Amino acid sequence: MATRGWIYSAFLTSGFAALLYQVVWQRALFAIYGINVESVTMVVTAFMLGLGLGSLAGGAVSRAPSRPVLLLFSMVELGIGVFGMVSLAVFHAVGNATLGMSAGGTFVITFLLVLLPTLLMGSTLPLLVAHLVRSSKNVGRTVGTLYFVNTLGSAFASAAAVLGILAHAGQSGSVRVAAGLNFLVAGMSYLAHRRSLREGETRVSGEQLRAGATEGAASDAAPASASSSGEAA
Amino acid sequence: MIFALTLLIAAASGFISLSYEILWYRVISFASWGLPGAFGLLLAAYLFGIAVGSRIAGHMCREGAKAGDARQLQRIAWFALVANVLGWLVVPVFGMSAKRWDWPPALIAVAVAAAMLGAILPLVSHFGIPADERAGSRLSYVYLANIVGSAAGSLVTGFVVLDAWSIQRAGAFLALLGLGLVALLLALSDLGRARRGIALASVAGTAGVIMLGTPAAYDRIYERLLFKKKLQDDTKFAEIIETKSGVITVTQDGTVYGGGAYDGRFNTSIRYDRNGILRAYGIGAMHPAPKRMLMIGLASGSWAKVLSHMPGLEQFDIVEINPGYLKLIGGHDEVKSVLTDPKVRIHIDDGRRWLHRHPTEKFDVVVMNTTWHWRAHSTNLLSQEFMHLVREHLSPGGLFFFNTTSSDDVQRTAAETFPHAMRVYNFMAASDAPFSFDKERWRKLLADYSLDGTPAIDRSTPEGQAFYDDLVSYADSIHEPPVGHGLESRDSVLARTKGARIVTDDNMVPEWTALLRFQDAP
Repeated sequence: MATRGWIYSAFLTSGFAALLYQVVWQRALFAIYGINVESVTMVVTAFMLGLGLGSLAGGAVSRAPSRPVLLLFSMVELGIGVFGMVSLAVFHAVGNATLGMSAGGTFVITFLLVLLPTLLMGSTLPLLVAHLVRSSKNVGRTVGTLYFVNTLGSAFASAAAVLGILAHAGQSGSVRVAAGLNFLVAGMSYLAHRRSLREGETRVSGEQLRAGATEGAASDAAPASASSSGEAA
Repeated sequence: MIFALTLLIAAASGFISLSYEILWYRVISFASWGLPGAFGLLLAAYLFGIAVGSRIAGHMCREGAKAGDARQLQRIAWFALVANVLGWLVVPVFGMSAKRWDWPPALIAVAVAAAMLGAILPLVSHFGIPADERAGSRLSYVYLANIVGSAAGSLVTGFVVLDAWSIQRAGAFLALLGLGLVALLLALSDLGRARRGIALASVAGTAGVIMLGTPAAYDRIYERLLFKKKLQDDTKFAEIIETKSGVITVTQDGTVYGGGAYDGRFNTSIRYDRNGILRAYGIGAMHPAPKRMLMIGLASGSWAKVLSHMPGLEQFDIVEINPGYLKLIGGHDEVKSVLTDPKVRIHIDDGRRWLHRHPTEKFDVVVMNTTWHWRAHSTNLLSQEFMHLVREHLSPGGLFFFNTTSSDDVQRTAAETFPHAMRVYNFMAASDAPFSFDKERWRKLLADYSLDGTPAIDRSTPEGQAFYDDLVSYADSIHEPPVGHGLESRDSVLARTKGARIVTDDNMVPEWTALLRFQDAP
C-alpha cells in the first residue's frame, strides 16, 4: 500500500526533526536554567510530560474514524515547524524574564515553553496507530513498525547532530533544518490527503455507478470511509 | 484488569529502560571525559536499538491474536528477562571495552540491550489493545504510561538511587527490579503449574547470579574506565565520591578527576607546583587590590585555599555545581579550611545561572579554572554571551581570569570581547580597564604571600631565593616571543588566532570541533 509506505517515511522524517529539536531545545534551556541535575531533570520531565499529554490528545482525536488523519498529521507537523522557527527566540525571551523564579516556578515555565510542540509531537503516534490498525487489524505490528520508523528517525538525527549538523549549523541552524523537515512532511501529508480525497471520490463515483446499474444494490460504504482517512491508495 | 496490567508493564518497562540509560550515560561520561559526541552516539545507539527491537517485536505479533491472551505474557516475560540481563551487563562491557578499544565498541552492547527493552512496548500493546476503532485511544494511554514510567525512572534513579548508592548497587537494583517484573508476568501467564514453577525458579536463579556476580562484574569499574590500557591488578582510586551530580575520583597521587576528566591536583604550594597554581597567585600581579572575588568551580579546593589568602581579600564567593566536592575537600587537611573560612561563601549552583540570579553582585575578580573546552556544555562558560554576563558583574577595573585549556577559539573570543586582555599560560585575563602583569606588584606579592602563616616561598635558603628571583622574572615574558607557559599580549593573541572563531551560545564551537577525542590514561 503506497500510503502506508509514505506514512512510514513521513513518520521517520518527523522523528528525525523531533529529536533535533529536543537536542537543541534542551541545550538552550540548560544554558538558561543551568546544567545542574535538578534543572536537567526538570527540562527532561517537562518534555516527557508534554509528550504524554500529546499522546492522550492524539488518542482522543483518533476515536472518530471519519477524521482525516493525513490532514491532521499535516497540521500537526506544520504547527511543530512554525513553533520551531520561533522557538529559540521564545525560549530566550521567556527564560531571561523568569530566571529568578523558584524551582517549582522554573518547572512550570519550562513545561509551558515546551508544551505546545511536545503536545503536537506526542499526538502523532496514537493518531497514526488508529489510522493504520483499521486496515492491518494488528496492533502489535502497527505499533512496532510506527515506533520503529519514528525512533529510527530519531536515532539518525542523534547521530547526524553530533556528526555534523550542530557543528555546521549551530542551534539556530539546526532548528531551521528541523522546521524545514516539518514543513516538508506537512506539505507532502497535505498532498497525500488531497490525493486520497480525489481517489475516494473517484471510487465512490464508480460504486455509485455500479449501484445504479444494479438498481440500488447497497453499496459498501467502506471505500468512502477508508478514503477519507487516507487508506484508499 | 488486562488493560491495567498493560499499563503497568508499559510503565515498568519505561522506568527500567530510562534508568538503564541514566546508568549508561554516567559510564560513557566517565569513560569519554564528558565528550559531547559520545553522548550523542550513546543516544543514537540507544534509539537505534529501541527502533530495531520494536520492529522485530512487531513482526512477532501474530495476526488475529486475541487481546488479553495470557500466552503473550510469556513472550513479554522472556524479552524482559533477556533485556534486564543485557542491561545489567552493559556497564561491565564498557569496562572490558575500555581496556582494549576505549568506549565506542560498548555502544553495540547498548544497542542490543536497548533492542530487547524496545521490544516490550509493541508486545505489550498487542497484548492489551484490541484491534478495533479505539486502538489509537488505548495506545495513547499505554504510551502515556510508558512515558510516565520513563519520567519516574529519571527522577528516582537520577535523583535518589545514584545519590545514595554506588553504580554497582544501582546496576544490581535495576536488574532485580526488572526480574521482579519478569516474575510477575510469568506468574500471570498461562503456564501450567509445574512449568510456571520452573520458570520462576529460573528467574530466581538469575537474580541470585546477578546478586553474587555484581561485585565481580562491576569491580573497579571507574578505574577500568579511566586507566584503560594502563590498568594494573592493584590499580585503585584513593577516593570515589558518587552523587546525583556526578562522580569524583582521586588517584593515589592526589589527582582529582571530575566525571572522568582531569580536574586538578591537591596542591597549594607555588614552590612545588604540580597543578599550575602559579596562575592563582598571578591574580595579585594583575589586580592592585582585589577585595571581592568570585570563583566558579571549586574542584580540589587548592585554588580556593590559595585565593582565600590573597592579601586584602574581604569576601570570597565560590559557586560549585557538584556538592560532592565539599565532601572531598572536607577530608583533605591541606584545603579543608576553605569550608570554615569566614571570608568564604560557597553556593551550590550552576555558575551561569547564579550570575543571572544575582545581577547586583559585583566583583573585583571573577576567576574560573574551567574544565576542558571540548567537554559537554563548556560553551555555557566560554561563550561571548557568558563573557558579557561576567562583564556586568565586574566592579570598575575588575578582572575576568579563566582557563581556556589552550583553545584558540576561546582565547580569541576573550580578546575580541574585552578591550584589554592578556594570556597567562593557558588562561586569559580580560578587563574593560587597562591592566598589566605588574612586576613590582608581583615581586611584593610573592614576598608577602603566606598560607596559614607559612610563607609561600621560603627565601631564607639560596635555593628559595633563586626560585623567588626566577619566578619574579616571569613578569618579563610579556616582552618575549610568546611561549605556551608565558605571558602574551592581546595584540599577539589576536594575531596568532586569526583563523579562530568567536564562541557563541549558538555555534558551540569548542564542543564540536572534533567528534571524537581519546585521552591518554593517567
